[in-house]
Amino acid sequence: MSSTVETSSTTDGAATSRPVRGAGGTESRPRRGAGTTGKDLLHALPWIGPALILIFGVVLYPAVVMFYNSTRHISLSGLDQGSVGLDNYVAVFSFPYFWPILGRTVVWVVAVVALTVLISLGLAQLLDKAFPGRQLVRLAVIIPWAASVVMTTLVVYYGLEPYFGIINTFLVDLGLVSTPEGYGWTKHADTAFAWSIVVAVFVSLPFTTYTILAGLQTIPAEGLEAAKMDGAGPARTYFGIVLPQLRGALSVAILINIINVFNSLPILKTMTGSIPGYDADTVMTLIFKYIQNQHRIDVASALSVVAFLIVLVIVAVYVRAVKPMKEV
Amino acid sequence: MTVTAPAPAPASESVVPPARRKRRYTADQVSAGRVAWRMAAGLVVLLVFILPYTIMFFGSVKTKPEIRSVNPTYFPTEWHWENYITMWSTPETPLPQNLISTIVIAVCATLLVLLVALPAAYYTARFRFPGRMVFLFLVIVTQMLQPAVLTSGLFRQFITLGISDTWLAMILVNAAFNLSFAVWIMHSFFAGVPREVDEAAQIDGAGRVAVLFRINLPLVWPGIVTAIVFTFVACWNEFAASLVILSTAGNQPLSVALTKFVGQYETSWQYVFGVSVVAIIPVVVLFMLIEKRLVGGLTAGSVK
Amino acid sequence: MNKSVRWGAALTVAALASVSLAACGFGGGNAQSTSGGATTLNLLVPSYSDNTQKLWDTVISGFEKKYPDITVKLEVQSWDNLNDVVTTKIQANQAPDIMNGGPFAGFAADGLLYPIKDVVSSKTLGDFQKSFVEVSSVDGVQYGAPLIASARALFVNTDLMQQAGITEAPKTWDDLLADAKKISALGNGIAGYGMPLGSEEAQAESAMWFYGNGGTFGDEKKITVDGNAKNLEAAQFMQKMVTEGATEADAGATDRSPLMDIFVQGKVGMQVGLPPTVGQIKTGNPALKYEIVPMPTSDGKPVSLGVADHLMAFKNDGSKKDAITKFLDYYYTPDVYVPWVKTEGFLPTTKSGAEQLNSDEALKPFLDLLPSAVFYPNTNPKWDATNAAFKSLMGQIAQGKAPADVLKEIQAQADAG
Repeated sequence: MSSTVETSSTTDGAATSRPVRGAGGTESRPRRGAGTTGKDLLHALPWIGPALILIFGVVLYPAVVMFYNSTRHISLSGLDQGSVGLDNYVAVFSFPYFWPILGRTVVWVVAVVALTVLISLGLAQLLDKAFPGRQLVRLAVIIPWAASVVMTTLVVYYGLEPYFGIINTFLVDLGLVSTPEGYGWTKHADTAFAWSIVVAVFVSLPFTTYTILAGLQTIPAEGLEAAKMDGAGPARTYFGIVLPQLRGALSVAILINIINVFNSLPILKTMTGSIPGYDADTVMTLIFKYIQNQHRIDVASALSVVAFLIVLVIVAVYVRAVKPMKEV
Repeated sequence: MTVTAPAPAPASESVVPPARRKRRYTADQVSAGRVAWRMAAGLVVLLVFILPYTIMFFGSVKTKPEIRSVNPTYFPTEWHWENYITMWSTPETPLPQNLISTIVIAVCATLLVLLVALPAAYYTARFRFPGRMVFLFLVIVTQMLQPAVLTSGLFRQFITLGISDTWLAMILVNAAFNLSFAVWIMHSFFAGVPREVDEAAQIDGAGRVAVLFRINLPLVWPGIVTAIVFTFVACWNEFAASLVILSTAGNQPLSVALTKFVGQYETSWQYVFGVSVVAIIPVVVLFMLIEKRLVGGLTAGSVK
Repeated sequence: MNKSVRWGAALTVAALASVSLAACGFGGGNAQSTSGGATTLNLLVPSYSDNTQKLWDTVISGFEKKYPDITVKLEVQSWDNLNDVVTTKIQANQAPDIMNGGPFAGFAADGLLYPIKDVVSSKTLGDFQKSFVEVSSVDGVQYGAPLIASARALFVNTDLMQQAGITEAPKTWDDLLADAKKISALGNGIAGYGMPLGSEEAQAESAMWFYGNGGTFGDEKKITVDGNAKNLEAAQFMQKMVTEGATEADAGATDRSPLMDIFVQGKVGMQVGLPPTVGQIKTGNPALKYEIVPMPTSDGKPVSLGVADHLMAFKNDGSKKDAITKFLDYYYTPDVYVPWVKTEGFLPTTKSGAEQLNSDEALKPFLDLLPSAVFYPNTNPKWDATNAAFKSLMGQIAQGKAPADVLKEIQAQADAG
């Protein structure tokens, strides 16, 4: 079996440092320089083909339907009544609360993701250290992940209700709330939104913490020991050695969180659902209101396309800046 | 640094360069005070994380009126354990079948994701080919679509294919929509394995598939475990698509079954909470099993 | 771990996966099967209570026994999800054959529904009470088979009344305001009047006030929320109730169901309820002392909000008309229909049903109110949008926004729908 050294461009981190390819084994093919890119793709197909089939087979059609519906007039009962061009988009952008809602969406994503990452970094450090009962704590941290987001939100929502809520009762018992029936946390746009952020962070912590924890496991001990011998303090060790090593895991975790948090509906829907007006809405809950209350699938589709493009841009910028798909 | 094919020694031990040996904590390295501090912090974390689910659990053993009592007590006044028995035979939904549906859909979808995502993640992390970046970006784009407006297209698609209202349809949906994160998570972990590891193995005559399974997998276990849990949990709790695609009550997963306890003006909260508690357990058990694997995978790489 | 073990594990996983995938594919689901000769009716219904599924199961098993060649496939959804599910089905040309729901004007306007006279016998058709036939018709054609009805009335906690020194339930708005303030003054978290303007049913609460002042939401042709002085007066008075402390805290974001739970437990003096509320009190707090009186109005003349839900029959490919007719005729026979309505705790819509239930103590106050009941203009295609606008905007009057502005916003959203 032969192997050939490949010359490759330097723009691609994961691949450039690969001098040898397909040496030995049944799958190996002798390489003949860098010009055989088509062949490269052909070789890749058995590995990535199934993923492509699954994605195109299942996701493509509904995605096309979404784009198509956004240019149609769809009756309340769901019948397509012809093209309206970009009218639905006009409806989206001329909605007087659209821009405040978009701004709030940005606040939502930034606040939730930032808090999640910061707290997760701390949590992962703790769970990485040895102490009696660590496994139990690790298990507890997984629970919000295991439980459905809807249920976690519902429990918090009921805890916060005046009269019934145990959290409200607790605050009244502590003397922090003066009205005997508690305070309407979920009935005011600002407090309901703040609590929604708390819940969103809470349910995002397990995944993020575990990704970081998994990343921590791959950090070589020698580097840390060397740093210790050099007399580096814990802070310098952490920022100088640990954090850079976490880059791969962390950047993907952040990317996934950005997308998930942007697309998150159940938390805000439940926590702010009874509040009149649009002072606690994000793009997601607005889409929900178009579908659920106004039965406007066409406008909802247009808004979804807009939301899709927004995430696409955010992710593109993020990927370009952070390059999470490259080698650590 | 060579792998000799018939060697009985753990593969990971022989290929992992010294630099990648894992740290091990030994109690004597840290002071008792520090351990106490960690335990205290751990306790706080534990309490915070189980608090909502304790409320949920208490709710599940209350009576319907007590849950909506305006003078809530911290603990149930009476413990109605029978809720956990009666919930399986309510007229609202065939819960045993719902549980089976959820398990089948989530397990099959997770396996499918693993089968499809693992090779893709490995290959994109290791090899260069035209369209690599496009592929990775395309994969993640699927996650940016809004599920709420996709359901009608999905429903139509499966009607046309004649598999609407089947588990297969939901397995495909769950697998397709959770593929991307699995690919990305595993990709980032594969990318973290030094190439020399592969090269060494290949020089010794290991095939590409063998390199993936024998050499890389043990090293990226934590990443795979993360991806598995992530996928499984997402499939386990999926709601929007199941709601419209599965119309037969027995085919529906627990997430949809829960809504059957919600009436127009009253809701059987004790069952909603009870089912939620039951729904958490399999995922936690899965995690307990897998966490051992995770720890095992890590210690396999360590050299004493 | 040994290499061969690891390989074995990998292979096992792969094998397991393919086996289970195959099993999943064949094991799952009984898709829309069309077995030879037999007709399958798809019935989509919302859940009214924890009795709903059982009640329909009973109806269906009785029906299938009588007509063995017809199978009825029941799908129960929560009210929250009902609309989502049906629009998705319609988009995919998979409309249910019979659906239980509220507004039907949209479906009728799209030509999806059979006129009711095509799918019931003349005997059944003649049995519907006249007032419900009117609210089930668009342009004189009846598209909905009225299923159940409700009228709303004021539930009054007589214990709290006594404590506040009130001897008689209020009849006019001014009495209501004064009494509610007295009850609120009892303190300890007690609210005088429960005003649920949260998104759940803000339109119903608003209707009780608008209608009580001679106002209106509009008619079959035109939605007139804004530009009606009576409506504005009513909205202003609602706001006055809130600002003078006669209602619960945060009335604008309080939903009806949780507030009713609070009423049931004796913490609210007065609140609008409907027939099933009687059953809720019976199970939730049988010790509660209460009476049911007409909702106070500006001039003291009783008015109520009537709501009727319907069964509607979708045409689809037109092949199931006979089976639908058989089912609807069977359902509306008093032996089947009366127990159904009674268990759900609503009012009957058929003459024969009303005769049998007239003597029912719990329903009497509501049956008495039915003649004065005003219905939503739900035969107006814009009603859906109007309804949605009320739910998401009306609560703002309790947050201090000018009623005139709120009504304008609602009108604008209704017109845009």
